[in-house]
Amino acid sequence: MISLRSIVSTIACVSASTCLAQVPDFETDVRPIIEKHCAKCHGPEKQKSKVRLDTLSTDLISDRPAAETWHDALNAINLGEMPPEDEPELSSEDRKILTTWIRGTLKSAIAAQKSTGGEVIMRRLNRMEYQNTMTDLLGIKADYGKNLPPDTPSEDGFKNNGAALSMSPLQLEYYLASAREGLSRAIVSGPPPEKIKITTTESTKKSNRENSTNRLGYSGSFVGKFLEFPDEGAFIIRVKARAELVEGKAFPRLKATFGYRADTQTPSAELGEIDIISSEATTYEFRGRMEQFPVQSRTQSKYPGQLVMLGNAFDDGIKRKDKRTIEKEVEVKNKKGKVQIKKQKQTEWIEHDDVPKIVIDSVEFEGPIYKSWPPEHHTRIFLPSANRENGELIYAQEIVGNFMTRAYRRPVEKTEVQSMLRLYTKIRPTSATFEDAIRDTLALVLVSPDFLYLVEPETGDGKAKTALTDHELASRLSYFLWSTMPDAALFEAASNGELRAPKKLATQIDRMLAHEKSWQFVEQFTNQWLDLASVDRVAVNPDYYADWDDIIKPSMQAETRHFFAEILRHDLSALNFIDSDFAMLNEPMARHYGIKNGPRGNAFERVTLPADSPRGGLMTQASVLLGNSTGEDSHPILRAVWIRERLLNDPPAPPPPNVPPLESEDPNFAKLSVRKQLEIHRNDPACDDCHRGIDPWGIALENFNAIGNWRTEIRRKNGKKFITQPAEAQTELPGGHTIDGVADLQDFLKEHRKDQFARAIVARLTGYALGRNLEFTDESELDALTEQFSEADYQLRPLIYGIANSDLFQTK
Amino acid sequence: MSNKPWHLNRRTFLRSTAGVSLSLPFLECMGAGEIAKNGPKRMCAVYFPYGASLPKNDSPDANWSWMPNGEGRDFTFNNSLKSLEPFQNDLTVFKGLSHPNGRKMGGHDTADIWLTGAQFKGGNFRNSTSIDQLAAQHFGETTRYSSLTMSTDGGVGEPTRSSTLSFGRNGQPVPAHNRPRLIFDRFFGINADSMKSQRQELKTSGSMLDLLLDHSKSVRKNLGHQDQQKFDEYLESVRSIEKRVDRSQRWLDIPKPEVDASKLHLDSDESTPAEYIRTMYDLIFLAFQTDSTRVATYQLGNMNGATSVAGQFPQLLGFGNKIHSLAHGWNKTGGAEKLGKWDQYLAEQLAHFLTRLKETPEADGSMLDSTIVLYGSSNSNTHNNNDYPLLLAGGSKLGLNHGQFLKFSKDTPLTNLHVTMLNRLGVPTEGFVDSTGELAEIVA
Repeated sequence: MISLRSIVSTIACVSASTCLAQVPDFETDVRPIIEKHCAKCHGPEKQKSKVRLDTLSTDLISDRPAAETWHDALNAINLGEMPPEDEPELSSEDRKILTTWIRGTLKSAIAAQKSTGGEVIMRRLNRMEYQNTMTDLLGIKADYGKNLPPDTPSEDGFKNNGAALSMSPLQLEYYLASAREGLSRAIVSGPPPEKIKITTTESTKKSNRENSTNRLGYSGSFVGKFLEFPDEGAFIIRVKARAELVEGKAFPRLKATFGYRADTQTPSAELGEIDIISSEATTYEFRGRMEQFPVQSRTQSKYPGQLVMLGNAFDDGIKRKDKRTIEKEVEVKNKKGKVQIKKQKQTEWIEHDDVPKIVIDSVEFEGPIYKSWPPEHHTRIFLPSANRENGELIYAQEIVGNFMTRAYRRPVEKTEVQSMLRLYTKIRPTSATFEDAIRDTLALVLVSPDFLYLVEPETGDGKAKTALTDHELASRLSYFLWSTMPDAALFEAASNGELRAPKKLATQIDRMLAHEKSWQFVEQFTNQWLDLASVDRVAVNPDYYADWDDIIKPSMQAETRHFFAEILRHDLSALNFIDSDFAMLNEPMARHYGIKNGPRGNAFERVTLPADSPRGGLMTQASVLLGNSTGEDSHPILRAVWIRERLLNDPPAPPPPNVPPLESEDPNFAKLSVRKQLEIHRNDPACDDCHRGIDPWGIALENFNAIGNWRTEIRRKNGKKFITQPAEAQTELPGGHTIDGVADLQDFLKEHRKDQFARAIVARLTGYALGRNLEFTDESELDALTEQFSEADYQLRPLIYGIANSDLFQTK
Repeated sequence: MSNKPWHLNRRTFLRSTAGVSLSLPFLECMGAGEIAKNGPKRMCAVYFPYGASLPKNDSPDANWSWMPNGEGRDFTFNNSLKSLEPFQNDLTVFKGLSHPNGRKMGGHDTADIWLTGAQFKGGNFRNSTSIDQLAAQHFGETTRYSSLTMSTDGGVGEPTRSSTLSFGRNGQPVPAHNRPRLIFDRFFGINADSMKSQRQELKTSGSMLDLLLDHSKSVRKNLGHQDQQKFDEYLESVRSIEKRVDRSQRWLDIPKPEVDASKLHLDSDESTPAEYIRTMYDLIFLAFQTDSTRVATYQLGNMNGATSVAGQFPQLLGFGNKIHSLAHGWNKTGGAEKLGKWDQYLAEQLAHFLTRLKETPEADGSMLDSTIVLYGSSNSNTHNNNDYPLLLAGGSKLGLNHGQFLKFSKDTPLTNLHVTMLNRLGVPTEGFVDSTGELAEIVA
């Protein structure tokens, strides 16, 4: 039934990510169906409900009312309301053509409406970019973005999309507050604050229910209480400790936290973890800034002081009992003063000989520590300059101009500085000090659009795209690969015009990828591309997984980030995302996967996978599998949608309105395997249209349970009891390929969908780099990038060069 | 609290994140602040996603229906709303109401229009003003804050999956607060600075915003057409906080109400849902009690199954599954009871809030008498955009006639209830979106 023309268009866009697959042609495919089934009541003679379909406009982009009528028609067909009962039913093929046409045409109309004509919409720094930029600009690590409302992700899940990121009064209010707070911290006054140095050797104890001790084993903690502490500045905590090692066991691991939240009774934040490897007393240092560990109230009488808590984070996966209740005979005085022997229940903490211990000798707090006074973060604002002697206004001009250049990430005009100085001049007479007036003036800079947005003013006539300036290019590059402002070297390269030549650009990119800030790219891109936050949204049901501990969730997410980083930094083929012979694991993850002789400790290492391991590639990673599960069982549909969306850039249409739930008249329905349930589901033609193209991708992963462990049997609760069913992963992919399990799926993808996958990565990475939705007009450039990508053995670095060199990236 | 150990058990220590449950919060308000003399009229709207358990009357699980039995003044609650029995004469339950525009939308798309009734489909993602914001605009500067907008996910989210219930002028989403401590600091936090320096800071802010507006207008000139449109959000925000600063200057001499925070779980978050939901309700109560605002909305969760952090609440609280899955399973064996228990839990939280309103005397009645609370969803059960579970509580002094279970046909748009609410709040409203009149049945 489908015409040649639509088949041709289908083939043409197999690899085109944003292209709408298989939209039939109206005149040849759709009109005959309408004439046959609809025109009797909605045609020339009758227009029931005032709807006439045969002449209804098909140009849904410009004719909104027509779009809405088609939308209503789609709903009526989906709900089985149309054609009505007394009319012949639509054949499933006709129905599919009709609904696919309406859905596809609506979708492109929506896309056209959202289109920006391939221009990057002026985008605001997102929360993470703001946080990083403020940190770099002011030179103080603190939580600048903590009060900002969460950012809205784009349809592709990216949080740096100019069109999706909005501004609101509340947001701006918090920017202002954060700017003032940050600047107050950066700008100091008066003599250097006195340094506090206190050592404690004893752990504080408040009740007998606590295992307060200097010897940290499976349980127990050392709590150092410091009543005197500064509010600001860097500090060092020195822990003198030694290990009691156990043969055949990993090193004990010292975990230190700082601060205490009285209301939730948890440490306020982590200082760090370190393996204790020596049985000689050794001093270990933890550093931080007081600002990162704010005390809610200095006057909270019940919980005064700052607390350093130390514990042993040794974890070999064995769960042990940490305490038992014993009865002890104790002497108790009665009211008359007579001594009686009474039995009393007490908690006894159990020592485990097979757990290595940490013995704490002393804990020292020292702070605030300043290398110089005034500190560097002050002098980078109040420059040591000859202008200091030339009167306040001239000095102010220099300070503000210098700060603006860095904040705006470009050279600034004199008039721009003058306009900011208007505030300075206005408030200086009523400000107590010169510093106060400067602080408020700089706060104004930090809420200016030039700082909060990546502003790229139009230089041409507004019709054709024009080239970015060098500094705009530097900013785009910096927010792409570092999620923060350009550093001095990149800024200088821009100023010297050294970014344009592809070779020099490549040198900068290499430098940037080698820099530790590129972890911000790895983290942001991986989180958003693969939706790693999904792991946090699933609660694992302990009835199903008795040994489960949420503590492993961050390791699952970290595994995937390290996997991406390994492929990026070692120039491995991106096809490793589909299937790889190695994994990036730490001890908990290796244990989770049942991989023996894996790494020790929490650091991630490259591990060559045993030949019989089902692991390898993203689809086998626990982050993906758990994130797309119910917390009890796999969720084949979620997993399938994830594969189509994230790996193939071909997201299925969202469910239509008023979908009936997955159910059946069959009372034994609940006892069927998910695969069978989905088969029954697909018996309904309304469901089958879409789900035939969805379900199989997820069925192939049925050998992985909710938490990503391998299984051959599925355990499910039926009433109060568990029943087991065989895990069935054989399925037929769209196009008729029969596969059985994840290995087949990986082979299929590598063999038949390599181009689509490559195109998907190119599209995702380009969308992220640009901070905008991709559009039809971008297709040819994406095709070119994809071709280069495959010629470069699917390495990410050349792809990044290619994106940065493309017109997409270099024009506005 | 004082005898709680500092030393944490191993798991808590290793995790070192979320909160641990404490005793029930019940705060005493130390200096409740003066309630305005002309009698405040307040409204609050609380939304839960995916609808409710609605087994048929003849089903063995019928007692887990969200809807009561009976009709009119003669009705009894099923298990789900049992905890609302003490308020039977202070509330009305509705069956059959929905937004006609919503019926044409995607099954998960309708939270956005719960309070707006807007037409929101076919690529048109522009919402219109919600009733709470209409009320807030009308009340103007009677209170320190015009409204309190809260949700579990916070921010604005994306169209059709918004994480806020409130939409201001032109349908711009109002970002929702989702962190109790921030809400508390904003409404009740004591500013450590002296009055003089606060005044100075506000004055400086005023000058800054003036200049910023000037400067931004010149930035706008150099932008392309599309950027200009985007940039108008920013300009609008500058104008709006300029007004806020003005307002703060006028409110400066009136101290913020003093409220005892010691029993609030201000650091609770989505990982501790019991404390979190309770605290959010407590904050609305406090904001009302101190007359810091008269309008509040609270979206307990949205229908973005893929990203809403509220989805796992029932799992964390021991109800077995994600909200979406519970909602999907309501008509499977045992499913009505499972979802019903979650419905019941949510209703208990509402009951707690209503109790606090009712137990707080005001004029010659209670706060509840002049507070209209709308509670419900925009699905009947999951994906179905008709026959919303809805109830309206409080406001008998504002002219509402309660104690009923009312059934309507599809012909009555939900906006008729919205119009009724607005008029009772003293916001004269003839029509709202697709309304056809008031709901005469509940007008005293």
